Amino acid sequence: MNPQLEGIEALEGTYPFDLERSAKALRVNRFLRGLIVPDNRQLFRENPEAAFDKAGLTGEERQLVHARDWGALVRYGATFFALEKLARVSGVSNPEMVAQMRSETLEQFLKTRNVPGAR
Amino acid sequence: MARIIGGIGTSHVPTIGMAFDRKKRGDPDWTPLFEGYDAVASWLAERKPDVLVFFYNDHATSFFFDLYPTFAIGVSEEFAIADEGLGPRPIPRLKGHPRLARHLAESLVNAEFDLAVFQDLPLDHGCTSPLTMLWPHSPDWPGALVPIEINVVQYPLPTARRCYKLGQAVRRAVESYPEDLKVVVVGTGGLSHQMQGERAGFNNTEWDMRFLDLIEREPETLAAMRHVDFARLGGSEGVEVIMWLPMRGALSDGARKIHQSYYLPMTTAMAVALFEEPGAPSRAAAGAVKRAERAPA
Repeated sequence: MNPQLEGIEALEGTYPFDLERSAKALRVNRFLRGLIVPDNRQLFRENPEAAFDKAGLTGEERQLVHARDWGALVRYGATFFALEKLARVSGVSNPEMVAQMRSETLEQFLKTRNVPGAR
Repeated sequence: MARIIGGIGTSHVPTIGMAFDRKKRGDPDWTPLFEGYDAVASWLAERKPDVLVFFYNDHATSFFFDLYPTFAIGVSEEFAIADEGLGPRPIPRLKGHPRLARHLAESLVNAEFDLAVFQDLPLDHGCTSPLTMLWPHSPDWPGALVPIEINVVQYPLPTARRCYKLGQAVRRAVESYPEDLKVVVVGTGGLSHQMQGERAGFNNTEWDMRFLDLIEREPETLAAMRHVDFARLGGSEGVEVIMWLPMRGALSDGARKIHQSYYLPMTTAMAVALFEEPGAPSRAAAGAVKRAERAPA
């Protein structure tokens, strides 16, 4: 156990991106990060299955990416910063990602914010 | 001899760059953010540093988990603006300072900070998001940038104390550089936010205010904290405030905070703070910490 993280399990709904998660989700994080390359974005838009094949994603990983299930992807091991690239390519904003992870609609989430128009 | 004339702590959330690119200054929802940076931009325009040493983190953009360095320094002549999914932002490539960067790499490795060295990699919003608020870039940037990347993404992260010590080593390295250069150190990230899991959307303004106070007066207290403490108080992604510690470590004990601003509109608390070294030419705003704060609902 990393002594710097001792007690982190007390923070509910928090999934520290550590080496175990990184190893488990290496393929999916590589796929997500690869979306910074225009050719990969184009392939993903035109033929997602071909993009998944190229990245060697498993059936479960394809399903999670396809569903844009941000919360499940985080629990699986995707890092938020790789997911952010999929969100940008998909036209999804960060407040929308956060709302979904909290199991809220965007409108419900915005009501909890100081300046709902700032997005 | 090169010398450090001041320091800046700033958030680097991508929305800061987005608000700039979309020219949101006149939008009341964004005006407080722009105004918070004005005093820092004026100070930079007045003091004209030659180089910004920028402590930042890459967001799995130019570095990936096949090799994710704990610390890395960029020594290129210039750095491209990263494409993070929407194409690069429409701003000029950043100018590096290879001579100073090489000197820092040599000095730091010889001081037992074994940094990785990178060249020719794009810089992502960790650098560029706050930079457009700080420096004008038309037709080109007014100075150079030496990026020092810190892993705050994949645990194990360097400890807060290690980050503070890195800053102290950077100070010694800058002061041993023979050429006369004015250097400003910049620490980025935070403040409170959590972008993952059911706890996403967490903020803590009370902690953020305490952090802004401690970073000036008691950086040792922050250096002694564990990552789990930062995550509990400031959210899982709020841990990245450990990148303010090398900035503070590179300043003298007597450096004073002469400006701070705090704005929490949505998911990430956006803060900027300006520190000046003692003995620096005084200016009108010195001594008065101005605050543009917006308390949470």
